[in-house]
Formats: sequence, structure tokens, C-alpha cells
Amino acid sequence: MRLGKPVERFDDVPKRVRNEAVIVLGQRKLLQRLVPGLIHAAIFWGFLVLFPTIVIAMIGVVDKESTLPWLGEQGWFALMVDVFAVLVLAGVVGAVIIRKVQRPARFEGSHLGEADLILALIAGIVTTLLLWHASRIALGVNEWPSSWSPVSDALSGLFGDGGVTEVLERVFVWAHVLIILSFLAYLPHSKHLHIATAAFNVYFARTRPRGRLEPLRFDVPEEEMRFGAGTVPDLTWKQTLDTFSCTECGRCQDVCPAWTTGKELSPKLLIMALRDQVFEEGPPLVRGEEGFEPSPLVPNAVTDNVVWDCVTCGACVRECPVSIEHVDHIIDLRRHLVMMESSFPAESEQMLRDVERASNPWGKPQTERADWAAELGVRVLEPGDPAPEVLYWVGCAASFDERARTAAQSTAKLLQAAGVDFAILGPRESCTGDPARRIGNEYLFQAHAEQNVSTLNEAGVTKIVASCPHCFNTIGNEYPDFGGDYEVVHHTELLADLVRDGRLAPSADAGTITYHDSCYLARHNDVRADPRAIVEAVGTPIEMERREERTFCCGAGGARMWMEERARPINEERVREAAETGADTLAVACPFCTVMLDDGVKSRGDDLRVVDVSTLLVESLDGDGTRPPAP
Amino acid sequence: MSVLVLVEQADGATDELSLQALALARDLGSPVHALSIGEAVTGLGAYGVETLHVAQDDRLSTYAPAAWAACLGQLADRLQPSAVVAAGTNRGNEVLAHLAARRDLPFAANVIAVGSDGTVTRVRWGGSLLEEARIDSDLRLLTVAPHMVEAATVNGSEAAVEAFEPALDETEFVVRVVDHAETPTAGISLAEAKVVVSGGRGVGSADGFGMLEELAGLLNAAVGCSRVVTMAGWRPHTDQVGQTGTKVAPDLYIACGISGATQHIAGCKGAKKILAINSDAEAPILASADYAVIGDLAEIVPAITAELRKAQSQ
Repeated sequence: MRLGKPVERFDDVPKRVRNEAVIVLGQRKLLQRLVPGLIHAAIFWGFLVLFPTIVIAMIGVVDKESTLPWLGEQGWFALMVDVFAVLVLAGVVGAVIIRKVQRPARFEGSHLGEADLILALIAGIVTTLLLWHASRIALGVNEWPSSWSPVSDALSGLFGDGGVTEVLERVFVWAHVLIILSFLAYLPHSKHLHIATAAFNVYFARTRPRGRLEPLRFDVPEEEMRFGAGTVPDLTWKQTLDTFSCTECGRCQDVCPAWTTGKELSPKLLIMALRDQVFEEGPPLVRGEEGFEPSPLVPNAVTDNVVWDCVTCGACVRECPVSIEHVDHIIDLRRHLVMMESSFPAESEQMLRDVERASNPWGKPQTERADWAAELGVRVLEPGDPAPEVLYWVGCAASFDERARTAAQSTAKLLQAAGVDFAILGPRESCTGDPARRIGNEYLFQAHAEQNVSTLNEAGVTKIVASCPHCFNTIGNEYPDFGGDYEVVHHTELLADLVRDGRLAPSADAGTITYHDSCYLARHNDVRADPRAIVEAVGTPIEMERREERTFCCGAGGARMWMEERARPINEERVREAAETGADTLAVACPFCTVMLDDGVKSRGDDLRVVDVSTLLVESLDGDGTRPPAP
Repeated sequence: MSVLVLVEQADGATDELSLQALALARDLGSPVHALSIGEAVTGLGAYGVETLHVAQDDRLSTYAPAAWAACLGQLADRLQPSAVVAAGTNRGNEVLAHLAARRDLPFAANVIAVGSDGTVTRVRWGGSLLEEARIDSDLRLLTVAPHMVEAATVNGSEAAVEAFEPALDETEFVVRVVDHAETPTAGISLAEAKVVVSGGRGVGSADGFGMLEELAGLLNAAVGCSRVVTMAGWRPHTDQVGQTGTKVAPDLYIACGISGATQHIAGCKGAKKILAINSDAEAPILASADYAVIGDLAEIVPAITAELRKAQSQ
């Protein structure tokens, strides 16, 4: 960690303390999976309670007659020790059943032998503790009233009060202390190191918006021009701490859209591979060994495919009980490959070139950007015009893509119907730079960010409604780093408000609808209730299993829209889930989800209509009795 | 002041792009000297060359960028020209980049015109931008953008040929061409075909491409496909037309059963004419198509093939 690059993680103390309380003490992330979560909580809370017994046992080893002053004599503490020791044992039994009988796929690639040894050591620690207490009760040398420790008291019946028990008492306390010491000695060499690092990792986790990437600085001297993570010393200290904190539970792997569709990337295996390289190269680097050159992380730790498989959906980060930030690792690996090595999937080059030259990822002429609005009479904001109440940021997909345009047209019609004062930038709007940033081309992203911020600031814009969750995330969470501070809402938020205020009055006759949460709305930005409010207003919602903050990506995020996919298509996996609900309609709130899922429906041949919630809303408006024509 | 031009050869004759470079060089000064590496070429007098220098060294039989740059630099030292010019080919740009780096000189690539005051106009951003530039140097290095200047002849006598023996160090040959390998392509390349017959989801299966192959054969066309087809494994990725595949610019693009996702249109919008054959009259491809046939491609494609055969047999 001493090698690590700096990163600001010492701010926001109240938020960090709260995270520590909820995620570490409260075990909230672990309890997302109830049974394994309860098992872990039993062991974790057990050891918190049992902690003083280590000191008590160490005193007991030295002097049979002594104990920790006060606490060692408390009946209530003896009761807690008994209860939690049993809970820990129950936890270990549960864990063994999961690992040996249930064998979930999430452990694929984890160090299973290490886990078995650790469980055995834990079982040994609590068993010897209980037996030690029992033997002391049998000998009558217990410092606490035995009636307070029912389990130890019951076990004491196994022992007599003679010389054999005298010896056994010594054996148990020595065994107890020696197992604890072996456990501590083994820790740094195993995945169980997390008990020392995880609490810190949670404390130092991101507190800024989850969808925001850390900007790179380009105004540095040439000799410092090294971008992203190419070798071990390029990792930030938090990223190094991430690798020490992984305990290989595989929850990330289980929810990863890439891994679950047969691709190479597993967030767990990524972090494990980085940890292996940190362990291997960190010591000689810290010692400053002469002639030692760190080797490249790609392809030494992970292959190129692993780096490019990621959709940046953040499911892994959301799931991780110890706050590892996998997406930041991926982005830094990409930044190095793209900006230092110029090595990235060849098929994405065209997108980068088009964003650079044409300000949109398909290379369409900017003059056609407002064509979708031509017949709607939408105001196009010219330089010098008064700023509208709300600027509608359409985004490239909804401006140019035939299928996604419908959503832009619907949104505009709804804003008009509700009498909202809005305008679009037309040809002055350009790509926010999101696909360039997510593929690792930070330089291209910043050029666009600066240009867009200057356009928006000059226009005097204060409030923005965006159709595309990627634009919404970039403008709302990332443009503040470039001097762009606006109130940014997603169209579903604004439209839900208009429905609530009675400015739009839909009727609920659109049949059964299942709503697909976009990662950049539901997970990265907590927009979950508003799109659902619209769906509920226009039809009968049916939920998918993977939804809200635990949604499953459509496959387009992280610039994957402009890369070829290997193995099973992610979009078809998601459509399968949607089709299984039996809904008539698959509602979306993102133009990329629209395209990906519509393709998935066509490939699978499902009878499912993929449509943006704004279009559903337009279609259900009755108004003066005449339903507006579907766009 | 004189001008020195690097000329490249293709199959024993001067490359067309080098002749274009000579045309532009004449606007930069006179007399025009040319440098040919390895072997002499004939007929340069008609393009205004006064003297052709032929660099001779056994090791120059294959392309070696650093060595070529050294030849050019040494000859320039002797002739003291005001400019060194090459064609804007991969080699021309590479050799002049080497020379510029060795001599710490400014280098303007892709020039298309020279003004009377010495400013140059050059193409940037893949043709979307023209830049006026002044090269602030006694020796100006520039390459000429391909196919932007006409290779015009002048009334001139045959150029004098002079042998030139450069002093070349072994290190100049560290990077050199050691082997030529043909790309294993069958038939007409997608990027260069005048006609492309392309299939999408509507083709239905890998076997369905048989009728497209047949039509393509008659039209001397290449067969393309959409991303869905590649994903389904019906065709290799090399056949894919689109944003993440090949960009094509044929005279005629026949889109069979392709709905026309933006990602696909991005790859075929350079076509002069697009003919869409699709069963869905609402398909987005129709917005980009010049002609469309609405119907089942399994009937329409064989019908076109049959008509073509009839026409060709007459």
C-alpha cells in the first residue's frame, strides 16, 4: 500500500463511520443473502464477543489461578461467551454444509482448501474454549458463577474432579491459545486476511456518487505522464487494499453479467489475480531491489478479454460485503491499455473516431441531430436565447437511433402536453463522452466534457432532463468535476412528477408490464421508484427477480455497445428473464437497453414489446378524450 | 531553390502517387530532383524531373524506413533543396517522419496545395478539415495527400540519372521488410467491392446465405452480413458490415432481411445506392434505402437471380 498512488479517501468522516456501522457491524451486505449472511454474522458477532476470552485464556495459560480482573468474574459475560460460542459453532456447521453439500457456483476458482482449514481452526478455537470452561467448572476453579454458563456447565459433567481433569484443563487452555496463535500466524498468508483489512476497506470506500469516475489530470510534467494501471505501483493504495480484502466469497461473480453468460471476466478472479501480483512484486518494489522491474498487469495478472468483458454495471461493487471497487480497477486497466499502449478491441476504434470527429458514436452529421423533433415544434436553443426552465438533453442514441428516437419524441410530446417550458440544444449538443470514458479514453472524454460544460454554462442552463441514463449519470455526477453544476433529472423522474402533480393524467390499460432497471439509473443513481410509478399508472406491473439495485445489465454499458460479444449474449439472458414473467410489455428507460433488449427479443423470437416508459405514458394519455397518436 | 522528391516504385514503374507528389513539388521550386531507392525508373522527365538520383546499396533491396530516411537526408545535405517531398503513402509518411525526427525539422503530412507565399494547405481529420499552415523552417518536409493532386505531365526531356552511394550504418537496417505474405482472402474484398449483397436476421440460417452467395456471384459482388448474423455464428466476423465491423462504400448495397440498426447503417451509409429487401415495411432500413422491395426475401432473391441469369445468357 505504501507503493500505491494517492486517492482522496479521508474526507466525509460521518458517512464513513455510518458505512462502518451498517456494513461491518450491521453486516448488511452479507445479509443480502440470508442464510450465508446469518452464518457469517454468527461467526463475526461471536468473535467480537469472544475477543476478551483470548486475553483471559492467555492469563489462564500463565497462571491457572488468575483471570482478567472484573470481566473474567462476570456471570453475564460467561453467559454471552457460552451463547456466542455455540452460535459460532452453529455457523461453522452451516458453512461446512454450504461448502460441502450445497457447493454454490460462486466458489468456482476460490481457494477451497484454505477455507476448510480456517473453518477447522475456528471450530477448534471455540470447542477448546467451551471444554476449558467445562473442565474449570468440574474442578471448581471457575471465577464466574457456573449457573450463568449453561453449556459449559452441562459439558462439565463429562469430567470428574480428579487429576485427569487437572491435566485436561491445562491441555484445553494450551490448545485454545495455540490454535489462536496458529490462526493469527496463518492469516496473512490466506484469503482470511480480510478480518484485518475489510473493516478499513469499508471505511475507505467511495462516498462520492457511485457512477462517478475519478478524473485524470493531464497537466502533469511529461515524466509523470502515466495513465491508468499498467503495473503494481500504478494501483492506488485503496486498490491495493481492495485486493487484500477479498475473501473469495464469489458474490460478485454470481451477479456478474459477463461471468454468468460464459465470458472470461469474473470480478472475484480479477481481484485475486491482482492480489497475487501485488504479493509477488510488492515486497521487492518496497525494498527498492535494484534492477527489479514490475511486470505488466495485462496479460500477466489478467488477459485482455477480462478487461474488455466488463459492462461497468457495478453489480459486483453493489454486492461486495467488503466494499471492493471492481469497476475502478477495470477502468484503470483500460485507461492504461488505451492511453499508454493503444491496445483495445479493434472494432471500437470507429466509435472513438466518430465521437472525436462527429461528436456522436455513429458518425452521423451533427446537422441531423434535431431531425427527430422536426415535426414536433420543439424549441432549439440558439446562442443568446433565454434559457428554458428545463433543458432537454436528448443524447446521441435518442437523437439518431431509429428505435430509440421514439422515446425522445414521446418525452417531448409529454413535456408539451404538461406545459413544461423546455428546449433542446440541437446541433450544439454533443456526445457527453461516456463511451470514451468507459472504454478508457479519458482524454477524449475530458475534451467533450469541457466543450459541453462551456455550451451549457454559456446558455445559462440550470436544470437538465436527460433521456439517456448514461448522459444523466455523466452530466449529473461527472460534469461537476469540470465546472458544470446543474440540477439533473432523468426523464422518468420528471414525468413521474408531472403525473403526481396531475399535469399528465394517464389511464391504466396497457396490460402487464415488466420494467427493466437500467444499471446507470437503478444501481449507480438510485432512480428506481419513479419509473415504477409511471409503469403502475399505465398498466399492471410484474417484477423480474433481478431488479432495482440488483438489476441485470442489458449488455451495452461500459462501451460494450461498440464491442463484439463473445460467449452467450447478455441481452438474451435478460430477455429470457423478462419473458418468463409472462408480461406483454418489457418497459425500459434507456435507449441502449431499448436497442439491446429489442435485439434480444428478436433473436429469441419472444412475443414481447420493448418500449420506453415515456412512450407507454404517451399512449395512455386520454386528455380531452382523444388519445394522441402513438409516435 | 531546388526540390527533392522521394519516388516509390510499384512493379518496376513509378507509383502513381509519387507522380502526384512530383506535380505538387513543381509548385515548390525548381529544379526538381528525384530520389529512387535501389533501382532506377524511367519516364520521369515527362513529370518535370531534371535529375534522378538512384541510391545504391545491396542492403536497399527491401524497404527499411530508417535507411531510406538516411539516404534522403544525405542527398538533401548535398543538394541543399528548399523542400523534401514524398507521396502521402504509409512509406512516404514513415520515411519523412524518420527524417524529421533525425533532423529535428517540422513535417507537414497530407498537403494538397502550395500557395504563392509558401503556405501549404493540408487535409486533416480524415478529410473533414482543411488547414492552412506555414512551415517555419529552411528545409520543409511534406507529403502529398493521395489522389488530391493530378499527376500532370510537362514538356521535358528525359531526366539525367546519377548514381548515389549513401553511407549507411548497419543499425539503419534493424527495421526492414523480411517477408511478404498474401492475405488469405477468397473472392472480392468487402471493403472494395462495387456491389455488396448483405444478409441479416431475415435470412434465417447459415444455409440461407446460399442464395445470397449465388446472387453475389452473378453480380461480381461481395457477401456481407449484420451483427446478428455474426453473433449467431452463421458468418465470420470478417463479413460483418457495421460500426464494429467493416465500413463499406459500394455503388450498390443490397440489404436482405436487415432491419437496419444504427450500428449497421453506420457501416453501409457510404453506399451510393441501397436496395432493401425486407418483409417489414416499418423496418428502419427503409429510411436509409433508395429502393425497397417489401416481401419474403426467400422468393425475391431467387427471382432476381433468375432474371439476371436470363439477362446474362442473352
